[in-house]
Amino acid sequence: MKFSDLMYETWSALESNRGRSALTILGIVIGIAAVIAMTSLIGGIRQSIVDELGLNQARLIYINCWTDRELTFEDLDRLQANVPGYDYVTGAGYGYASVSSDTKQAEAQITAVKPIYFEATGTKMLQGRPFSEAEERSGAMVVVLDQASLRTLFDDPEAQVVGKTLRIGNDSYTIIGVSESIGMMWGDTVLLYAPFSVNASRISGSESISNIIGFATEGEDLDDVVRRTENYLASYFNMTEQQKEESIYVYSMKSLTDELDSTMMSFSILMTAIASISLLVGGIGIMNMMLTNVTERIREIGLRKALGAKNSDITRQFLLESVFLCLAGGVIGIIFGYLGALAFSGLATNLAQTVQVRPVIDVSTVVIAASICVGIGILFGFGPARRAAKLDPVESLQYQ
Amino acid sequence: MSQVLRIQDVHRIYENEAGITHVLHGVNLSVERGELLVIMGPSGSGKSTLMNIMGCLDRPTLGTYTLEGIDVSELSDDDLAFIRSTRIGFVFQSFNLLPRATVLRNVTLPLIYARTPKAERVERAIEALTMVGVPVDLFDHRSNQLSGGQMQRVAIARAIVNDPALILADEPTGNLDSATSDMVMATFSHLRDQNKTVVLITHDPEVAEWADRVIYIRDGILLTAEQEEAYVKSRDGQARGRT
Repeated sequence: MKFSDLMYETWSALESNRGRSALTILGIVIGIAAVIAMTSLIGGIRQSIVDELGLNQARLIYINCWTDRELTFEDLDRLQANVPGYDYVTGAGYGYASVSSDTKQAEAQITAVKPIYFEATGTKMLQGRPFSEAEERSGAMVVVLDQASLRTLFDDPEAQVVGKTLRIGNDSYTIIGVSESIGMMWGDTVLLYAPFSVNASRISGSESISNIIGFATEGEDLDDVVRRTENYLASYFNMTEQQKEESIYVYSMKSLTDELDSTMMSFSILMTAIASISLLVGGIGIMNMMLTNVTERIREIGLRKALGAKNSDITRQFLLESVFLCLAGGVIGIIFGYLGALAFSGLATNLAQTVQVRPVIDVSTVVIAASICVGIGILFGFGPARRAAKLDPVESLQYQ
Repeated sequence: MSQVLRIQDVHRIYENEAGITHVLHGVNLSVERGELLVIMGPSGSGKSTLMNIMGCLDRPTLGTYTLEGIDVSELSDDDLAFIRSTRIGFVFQSFNLLPRATVLRNVTLPLIYARTPKAERVERAIEALTMVGVPVDLFDHRSNQLSGGQMQRVAIARAIVNDPALILADEPTGNLDSATSDMVMATFSHLRDQNKTVVLITHDPEVAEWADRVIYIRDGILLTAEQEEAYVKSRDGQARGRT
């Protein structure tokens, strides 16, 4: 029997029992919808965390080194020159100052960086641009504001401020850009970026770097780069093994995302295990319906055999009916699952206000869900299909 | 005329929990091409078992069955299925059409299992339906929308669509009124005239009148018309003696 004929026969059989078929696949629909809703929500939460923490810069390596003196850019240049595997190594210093716009005044935490820092951290600009290498070198009086600071300084989180002036201490600075929010803000503290050279000479007077980051070369084994960095710093500062353990902590963002993925995966597995109970119940429902189908169609099976159907034709027909039912349940489940996740994330976003969760559904999840449905169809449909195929044609034709 | 089937010393013995039942006792039969053969016999005489063996739905316990020169007794299940789909046509008392399928789909069913190309299937189904006198406007009707006579004609069309060597009909007029029965038998007679071989089981002596040859079966043994007449006379004589 050709596959196209098999499909036609399957569709005809299911179509003649629409109501029962629809009820039978409910278990599969619920199971797959639950799996899809949970995996897409978990994916969305992960993406939200990654976006929030800036973990999407997977090649970023965070370097902590506590020594008896403060680190400078000279130290970082040596590190980059001696440890292979970095595109660049940069850092940020911090300063605190009073800042005021035309109408408001607030305390500000100033993150003093070189322009490469924006690229390394993947900071997104919502207005304007980050400062350039030339501006940093020449000590241009420019700053980049954090978006959340707009409300504090301008009473409007959407205010267009590029080109406006801010006063830090006694100096005036031009706002050249607004970045997306870079972190939590306490009270009315303003967060802003200033060129490192300007911070050192005019704001905090410090050239120390307290936050060092490296950006690994594409294709480098990040664990190797981390290890080489630790060894170099230990040797550079003449540390013993114990001092190295206590004073140097280097890690890649990839290791953080790996940990996050691992946690999310455990959660996913737990949720999938719970949802699979529904799939099991759905599978048993399919098996029950297929057994009823075989009993109701014994004469038809006898007739088909009399007209030349092989045992394999009968097996394939009933197996395909079972697989088709499960697959239909799966497709409906995928759609409902995603819609459910969208509704739930909308609700969660409304409640949380600051965090936006968008369900993430990837092709592999859909393919796996569809494969599970096919698997359930085969697993629970095979018994009834074989039972149908083994029926004796003579007895089947006499069945009342 | 050439021989279509030959049954030699066929026995059929069933073993089940109730015990052993010996249904056919050394049956010998041959049927020629273009012959309309009627097998008559009372219930439980073994005529359906014989029909099932001729239709390759069952196998003889002993003996040989040769269809178009091929000994089918030893063939595999799949080979028998292929023979059923290509060389045998069945007509049942209760029509056995797929109720929700169209007339055309019902008739093409044996061709589907014979893996006949789609275009050819429809062409042959239309030809078969036309041959048995099913009106064109019924082709797209569901079979459960037809009358008994129409259903049996569709069933006959299904039986001849694969141009079989042998058409087997089990009580084909059992569910039909006299006028429709005559119409159906006229169709079989027409098929015989076109050199088709028809073997038909019936209880109805009027149906037997359409046959080229009538054989009888009693307790699993085939009887000629003379033997059957002698048996009936002897049985009637015994019955009169008892009264």
